[in-house]
Amino acid sequence: MDDIKVDLELDLKGLLCPLPMVRVSQNISKVPVGGVIRATATDPGSLADIPSWARSTGNEIIKQEQEGSNLIYYIKRIK
Amino acid sequence: MTPEANARAELLQLIDSKMNRTLKYYLDTCVRCAICKDACHQYVATGDVLYLPAYRAELIRRIYKKYMTGSGRLLPKLFEGRDPEDDVLLDELYKTTYACTSCRRCMFWCPFSIDTSWVLAVAKALLLATGRGSEILTQLADSAIDKGKNIDLYTGVIREVLKGSEEEMRRIVQDPSAGFVYDKQGADVLYVALAGTHTILPAAIVFHQAGEDWTLSSFEGSNYGYFLGDTVKAKAIAQRIVDEAKTLGVKEIVMSECGHAHRVMRDFYRMWAKEELPAPMVSILSKVDGYIKDGRIKVTPGKITEPVTYHDPCQIGRNFGLFEEPRNVVRATCSDFRDMTPNRQKQWCCGGGGGLVAETEFDDVRLKSGRLKADQIKATGAKILVTPCENCRLQIESLNDHYDLGVRVSAVLDLVVEAIEIKPR
Repeated sequence: MDDIKVDLELDLKGLLCPLPMVRVSQNISKVPVGGVIRATATDPGSLADIPSWARSTGNEIIKQEQEGSNLIYYIKRIK
Repeated sequence: MTPEANARAELLQLIDSKMNRTLKYYLDTCVRCAICKDACHQYVATGDVLYLPAYRAELIRRIYKKYMTGSGRLLPKLFEGRDPEDDVLLDELYKTTYACTSCRRCMFWCPFSIDTSWVLAVAKALLLATGRGSEILTQLADSAIDKGKNIDLYTGVIREVLKGSEEEMRRIVQDPSAGFVYDKQGADVLYVALAGTHTILPAAIVFHQAGEDWTLSSFEGSNYGYFLGDTVKAKAIAQRIVDEAKTLGVKEIVMSECGHAHRVMRDFYRMWAKEELPAPMVSILSKVDGYIKDGRIKVTPGKITEPVTYHDPCQIGRNFGLFEEPRNVVRATCSDFRDMTPNRQKQWCCGGGGGLVAETEFDDVRLKSGRLKADQIKATGAKILVTPCENCRLQIESLNDHYDLGVRVSAVLDLVVEAIEIKPR
């Protein structure tokens, strides 16, 4: 899991709901199917918003971690 | 019937099912006086007829006239009759409908009080039925419903992350036992915040100081199903809070500083669900105004010395009726309060409502139409802009950058926390 190839970095720090999820949604088409976005947010609301968005749109969170106040999501485009 | 004729019949049936007496009155009564041209911030700022309220409704009226009135059936060309599956009409309808912030300023100007936002609810139903609903609003609504179905997956991790904010709360209120309250059976207040901690921490501090018996909802108040115009999804999103209130047996549902959430819970839920709320819905603004008046919390008068102005969110002011309560609270905290002109019922929409802050395809009209609000803010000379609505705050932050306003954008409770006199417990 540590060698995930990241296709696009998104800095979502400081953005409040619903903007972290909106930015992920806007950018998912910029990576190829099978590609990965690494999104770094600080809004705790993203802890539910981004995984719920992934599930309801058929994409996948392949890794999620926290570094201090940074909430980091690895989002794989499935379709 | 051919498949095309069947599809048209279904769309007409859908429109007809939405056409109650009031809506027919709206569509029959408009005399195209165009008084509404001076009311809509989008039309005033752009001059584009697409944003003229009468024209927004006109697109639906053309279908209605052609298929649902005798005169229109006889002389469809006279009424510019259109078909509900007409791609050109639907493209135009999409742009004008999802760009509308539903601020209802046009209704207050209209001599017949025609509620264009209600007509656009029919437009949204038609757009959804033809596969033309807003994609991002659909995703936001679907993810909120998914969250409701899988809330157990999230509560643990969210509450863990919120511990940092609880630590901050304990430091501010000087009470090592203070913290956020979860799942409290029989609490007086179910507080419905927004996603994230910024609407939780200030309220928790105020509740602690007021000695309120409260518990925090697991769900956010915002409802993108409502903006989308999908009443099934909107109801499902609101239902999460209603079910939680029933399970906990709370006495009041207190809504945080979010405009449309106020209206969804007080005005729309009962229409969609055909049942009353299990407990009265009260605005956090009314609660805090009451706490100050009753002496349950004390704020230092004039603590905030920089000039402060207040923006009436359309869904809290004009459409919900809360004008004085938030002003009472803001005035209690600052020494230099400056109201904008116009204000209250006649205030200009900031341009960010209706889900527009999430719909980047409308960024151009959102920023252009925000110029009126930006000019109002500048004219006050205020350094702090207060408004109790998340969409308004996001929009005004955007205007702050775009029009170089140089204001600090704040929620009402943020000012209260700045001015509150802490009583150690």
